[in-house]
Amino acid sequence: MSHWINLQPYENPMYILVLVIALIPLIIGLFMGKRIHWYETLVSIVFLLFMFDGDKLSQGIALIGYIIIEMIIVLAYAHYRMKPNSPNKTWVFVLAVALSIVQLAIVKLTPLFADGKSSLFGFLGISYLTFRVVGTIMEIRDGSINAKNFDPKKFIHFVLFMPTISEGPIDRYRRWVKDYDQVPDREKYVGMIGKAVHYLMLGLFYNFILGYLFGTIMLPNVQHLAMLSRHNFLGISWGLVGVMYVYSMYLFFNFAGYSLFAVAISYLMGIETPMNFNKPFMAYNIKDFWNRWHMTLSFWFRDYIYMRLVFFLMKHKWIKSRVTIANLGYLTLFMIMAIWHGETWYYMVYGLFHACAMMINDAWIRWKRKHKGLLPSNKFTKAMSTFFAFNVVCFSFLIFSGFLNTLWFK
Amino acid sequence: MKISKKLWRIFGPLIIAVLLVVVVLFAPIKGHVMHDTLQRAANSLSVNVLKGEMIKDQAMSQNYVPFIGSSELSRMDPFHPSVLAQKYHRNYRPFLLGSAGTLSLTHYFSVQGMGKILNHRKAVVIVSPQWFVKKGVDPNMFQYYYSSLQTTTFLENAKNTQMDRYAAQRLLSLPSGKSDKIIAAALQRVADGKPLSAFQAFYVRYFKGLILKHEDVLFSRLFIKNNQPLLNKQAAKLPTKYNYAQLYQDALRMGAAQTQNNPFRLKDSFYTNRVKKVVKKLKGSQVDFNYTKSPEFSDFELLLNQFAKEKTDVLFVIPPVNKRWMEYTGLKQSMLNNFDRKITYQLRSQGFNNIADLSQDGNQPYFMEDTIHLGWAGWLKVDQYVRPFLKDLHAGKTNYHINNYFYTKAWQQRNPVTVK
Repeated sequence: MSHWINLQPYENPMYILVLVIALIPLIIGLFMGKRIHWYETLVSIVFLLFMFDGDKLSQGIALIGYIIIEMIIVLAYAHYRMKPNSPNKTWVFVLAVALSIVQLAIVKLTPLFADGKSSLFGFLGISYLTFRVVGTIMEIRDGSINAKNFDPKKFIHFVLFMPTISEGPIDRYRRWVKDYDQVPDREKYVGMIGKAVHYLMLGLFYNFILGYLFGTIMLPNVQHLAMLSRHNFLGISWGLVGVMYVYSMYLFFNFAGYSLFAVAISYLMGIETPMNFNKPFMAYNIKDFWNRWHMTLSFWFRDYIYMRLVFFLMKHKWIKSRVTIANLGYLTLFMIMAIWHGETWYYMVYGLFHACAMMINDAWIRWKRKHKGLLPSNKFTKAMSTFFAFNVVCFSFLIFSGFLNTLWFK
Repeated sequence: MKISKKLWRIFGPLIIAVLLVVVVLFAPIKGHVMHDTLQRAANSLSVNVLKGEMIKDQAMSQNYVPFIGSSELSRMDPFHPSVLAQKYHRNYRPFLLGSAGTLSLTHYFSVQGMGKILNHRKAVVIVSPQWFVKKGVDPNMFQYYYSSLQTTTFLENAKNTQMDRYAAQRLLSLPSGKSDKIIAAALQRVADGKPLSAFQAFYVRYFKGLILKHEDVLFSRLFIKNNQPLLNKQAAKLPTKYNYAQLYQDALRMGAAQTQNNPFRLKDSFYTNRVKKVVKKLKGSQVDFNYTKSPEFSDFELLLNQFAKEKTDVLFVIPPVNKRWMEYTGLKQSMLNNFDRKITYQLRSQGFNNIADLSQDGNQPYFMEDTIHLGWAGWLKVDQYVRPFLKDLHAGKTNYHINNYFYTKAWQQRNPVTVK
């Protein structure tokens, strides 16, 4: 048993209290129209130290190694791209991206080859850091990050931005650095504090009340019930239906709560980190859902994987049909997302399920467009599609939860 | 709008909310539970009742007696202890503690949470042989019934005794004990035989413990399942006067009427819902079951030790297994006999001599409601021990002498044949 003080991001209300107190000088500074850079750096370093000390020390070392390697890759690529008349070869870009995801790939694949053991190179937040790094490389390639707005020190700060280090949201360098370089005027900053307080309270309600209610109180009960009826055909029972909805609610409130904390703390630090959720269960179809659920990740996958793949396929004219190209894009996107979640059958099925749902959704929309006027569109049909989308999503979360694995095979 | 006004609009509600939370969590409040809430809680089998303290404490200081067990407590037929006590206006009422998956360790923490309330009082414990599996309590099941409140109570009272050291160490070996880092560190001190640090003691008594106690006072009476209508319905099926011979005939009649659809004399609904679809798979499936070597024996010792500490007079019931079912699944009577030998040795050698040993009654007609759970005639037989035992709710003179040997691996793994 260690007697280290170890603080995991937003693990309890106490963490938030301590963090906000630590940020007070910075907040007062911003209120007075000044960003105290050295203090912000100090607070970030102290909280990072508390996050990766004690029995998490090996993670801390992995993080330091990670940052050094990624810095070398990004700086080398930036150097290559930002010199006048850069050749901008595709293979250099591909190499830079590949190298930058090596460590994440090792960490994600280790459990598969090492009997479920986790990798020594892993640390909390490696995925989100990698998303930021890769996003930056892509934007350097496009030239939207250039010699004018790129600063290695700020880049490190962006990658390690403390409020969002463990679970996002995933910001983009260009957007982030714009906020970082300026101080909001007092009127605006007070508005941001107001939002921050609102988000913090909402996050507390989501995470520690509703998340607790669904995850800690209700979920074990319905799981217990479902396990009692596991001998039914496919283990189907009312308990399992309960698991599906309760887990979905838990997942949302827990994750949305975390995201709200991260956004709120960013606002207090004068950075308008983008929101991650926008009433996802009000989505009227699956595509709409992904525009509302874990938005910064969806948009990342959309912009950097889906769009690029679709553009690539269209440019090279390997496949003619736009529909096929789009479907291939969905399949690639969701299977990469599945592998990123982990190499289990249920993540793979989850990915496949969502890819299929997107394809069916597109086909349905095409069909409707062809047969205009055949189906009415009114409040009732809209409510129906929202209800349908909600249930499709909850079912996918039942797959995602891994509970079926326990129910069927354990 | 002026900035100061804006700031007040933002922080005003926040300050008020924080003040309210502080008042609710730390202000001195005492709860009084209404009579019918106690009655409901006693028969509810709800997890929050088991995990709480206030309701149990108030009930046991009246005429409620803890009936500690596991899934058999939910078999509420007309001969269930709660029905008989109600119908025949006994001087006691059972307070049912336990559901599927509550084993000795859960009960130990629950009983120590009641503390002095059980001093010189009585209790009934139904010891299922099925608790004593090779690996002992399932960590997930334990977590399901784990009570942080009872853990803080444990830490407040912990001393450097074998019981407390073993309990702390056992808790630390399960994920539940590690869920709060400060609590885990405090448990480690107890396991090492050291007193809590000043900070740990403060945290346990005035922070975490206080909040959990307030939670218990404010919320534990909510969400209690009401089994009273069922008990009333069952009581209505019994004759007005207590007459053993007649009750026994009724038990046989009701048992026979409800075990029609299978050759094992399992209750029809149980057979249909839980057995029918897998019945082929279960044939011969329990040949290798063994309840004679298990860490559970030491967890059970914790419970005995706690009873000895408070000089609680305890009746132990050792239920049998349905004989027809045993023959079908291949579960060995010789193994059960060995279990019986080991557990009765552990009890008697330490002065726990009130034992209703029903281990040989598995072939009595309609003794079991299903596979391993007491029913009609079985419950009635239990009553033949319970009724005289609970004539007086105060414990007579007990003569317990706890032997630390029962905390050792050697005992957990000892072959019962070598036990005299």
